[in-house]
Amino acid sequence: MDVVIVGSGPSAAAVALALQHMPDVAITILDLGGQLEQERVVARTAMAESRPQQWNQADLQLLSAPPKSAAPGKIPTKQIYGSNFPFENLGQLDDIDAAELANDLVVSGAYGGFSNTWGAQVMPYSTGTFRDWPITRQELEPHYRQILTQIPYSAESDDLEEVFPLMGRPDRLPKVTARTSAVLNRYERHRIAVRRHGVTAGHARLALRGSSCELCGLCMTGCPYELIYTASQTFDDLRAHGRVNYHSGLKVYRVEEDDSGAVAVHATEVATGRTVTFRADRVFLGAGAIGTTRIVAGSLGLTDRKIDLVESVQFMMPLLSLRPMRELTQDGEFTLNQFNLFVTFDSDGRDAALIHCYPYNDIMLNSLPAFLMKPPIEPITSAGLRRLTVGLGYLPSWDSPFVELEVGPQPLNEGALPSVRVTSRPNEATGPALQRVIRRLRRTGRPLDLHPIPGQTKLSAAAKSYHYGGTFAMSRQGPGEFTSDTLGRVGPWRNVHLVDGSVFPTVPATTFTLTVMANAHRIATRALEGA
Amino acid sequence: MGSPRIAITGATGYLGSILVQHMSQYGQVVALTRSRPVDETLEWRHFELDEPIEASSLADVDILIHAAWVLSGKDTGELWQQNVVGSRRLVEAASVAGVGRIIFISSMSAYFGTRQTYGLMKLAVERTVLDMGGIVIRPGLVYGDSPGGMAGTLRTLSKLPIWPRFASAKLFLVHDGDIGPAMAAVIDDYDRMSSETIGFANPTPLDLSSILTGLSLTRRRRPSVPTPARPIIAVLRVLEGAGVPMPFRSDSLLGLIEAATTLPGENLMAQQHIAFRALDESVPRPSR
Repeated sequence: MDVVIVGSGPSAAAVALALQHMPDVAITILDLGGQLEQERVVARTAMAESRPQQWNQADLQLLSAPPKSAAPGKIPTKQIYGSNFPFENLGQLDDIDAAELANDLVVSGAYGGFSNTWGAQVMPYSTGTFRDWPITRQELEPHYRQILTQIPYSAESDDLEEVFPLMGRPDRLPKVTARTSAVLNRYERHRIAVRRHGVTAGHARLALRGSSCELCGLCMTGCPYELIYTASQTFDDLRAHGRVNYHSGLKVYRVEEDDSGAVAVHATEVATGRTVTFRADRVFLGAGAIGTTRIVAGSLGLTDRKIDLVESVQFMMPLLSLRPMRELTQDGEFTLNQFNLFVTFDSDGRDAALIHCYPYNDIMLNSLPAFLMKPPIEPITSAGLRRLTVGLGYLPSWDSPFVELEVGPQPLNEGALPSVRVTSRPNEATGPALQRVIRRLRRTGRPLDLHPIPGQTKLSAAAKSYHYGGTFAMSRQGPGEFTSDTLGRVGPWRNVHLVDGSVFPTVPATTFTLTVMANAHRIATRALEGA
Repeated sequence: MGSPRIAITGATGYLGSILVQHMSQYGQVVALTRSRPVDETLEWRHFELDEPIEASSLADVDILIHAAWVLSGKDTGELWQQNVVGSRRLVEAASVAGVGRIIFISSMSAYFGTRQTYGLMKLAVERTVLDMGGIVIRPGLVYGDSPGGMAGTLRTLSKLPIWPRFASAKLFLVHDGDIGPAMAAVIDDYDRMSSETIGFANPTPLDLSSILTGLSLTRRRRPSVPTPARPIIAVLRVLEGAGVPMPFRSDSLLGLIEAATTLPGENLMAQQHIAFRALDESVPRPSR
């Protein structure tokens, strides 16, 4: 059987992982395949071959350039190894724009997709989430477990297990910072007082090879040892074993399935502009929710209309502790998310918010206006930073602003995709939902010594969370114009499966990518079983 | 097929011994307890909630009813480790050992929004059990001819000439004689009730005076005085913190004044034709 997978991000990787042991399946990957610049690869390789103490300063400077914020207080667009390559336009961003502040960097052309620059959080969705889904967590659990055995996974046993079981045997997390230890120790001591407010604290769960961590502090600008999972690692491995046939430099623009069920995938060679066609018995579309939506809209004539997107909106919440950290440094630390605050409003974890808490790292310092780090203000700023934790939180999609994709007319040129404009309008539930989260955390401020700074919690712009989808939500009613069946099949298609966030009925506030991978793994496994 | 082997933790406690009595008619009971039960005919295996269970203890078990709970300890951190972490470890071990049916005895105190330590701990275990496909039973306040636990304390309290009256306290109650048939019905219909929370209680909650009247041997309502619960809770907490042994814990009093207002799984029980008697019908008459 010939199978084509479109894309090389987490959902595509999960499909490949599901199919790799099926001997009769020939797997072809079609990808734009943007890569980290060669000089940075060379520098990274040199650094990976030595200990941090032996690093060449020029290599370090090149790879750890911090991202710049568009404005003071704004979250900068994350760079990785000093590069912007996950966001670079290789043609996938042509004719995509965004209204006002909404994010327009919504499709990645990179090998590995946005997993090159993700926060590496891996928790399953809560059981309650699946009340709105046509599948249960029980059905997804074997796939969560499969994925977690095939990617790096570090976690600790703690209270978050109640709602988010570990589902496997994780590696230990690296040593956490003094701030994280202090908060989690206080949680242990004041657990009941904190939980009375529906708040649970626990360690981060990360797609990270924790036991190999050198604690160099560079997680947020790119691990020189590549200990943080990216989907490209899966494809590197499968390519090295000759298990997949990988084609880069291709922009897929149309998919067609004929009456016999044979599928043709049409793509443009980015370098030459020529169009090429691949034929397959089954196709899995994993180009990211908006990338996939665009391909489907162009293929099925769903143009000149608005399509609803569901997003779990992100917010930034600075938190202050009364007790300061001893020194302001990221050396000797790992700087990914270290602990989570889970705020729930029901017993099965559906109606909830999750805040990933980051201890001090140099990006925080660099995002401040320069005058704050000069005398006479510098001591005050330093005192504040030594007490600062930055929370990146999420609200569930039903409490988040509404996001729409305005899909333009069917393009006249062969090889083009319909235009897409990302627009957003307010949801009256958002403000109250955010306020009730803040209220809960205010009440747990004293027991945890972690106080939200009043008035400083800010929502990010539309589509900035990268936790979005739902354009072709899976439905018990089966495929429709804007719904898919539980195998991600839309409209007339029987052998074309959408496998990324585009098929999510909702996007809860909890971590996104592991469920994208588990669901893609489930769809691929079931689809091939059926075949 | 032979009779099922039913392991019961906490088999020597008030509720556990009621379950042992009824489940012995249903299958072969294995008591999982810290020390050997007085009834030497009962099959016994050593089990402590705060220690990992031997895999062999569960290898031949068909049904696990987890009723063990540590009520008093040095501090809530220790109680959490023993009860929540220990219970989670037990149900996971049961699942790994292939125990097909897992039933956790929780409490009507374990409702979302509770501030009671006991209720919060039970609630934390409930989630694990439900997600594993088990069944959670929330018994109401258990009473009978010789009530133990909270009902026993309330019967003692009913002997006072004047009763306390707390604002907004209404509790669900269950007669101990109704627990066995209800548990048998749950076991029989396990697949349909899997991942469900079911209250074992009469659906009409009663205020404290009605409960004290029903539990008293004279069945006569006595005068009551409005009693501010919160200052009493505060005093009890101070005394508990100072290590003074108290007949009534502050957390139990909190459970009396802030109680669940709904009974979960009522329809599931009704479909099984399981009814829980009301307190008035079942209260023992003075025998002499």
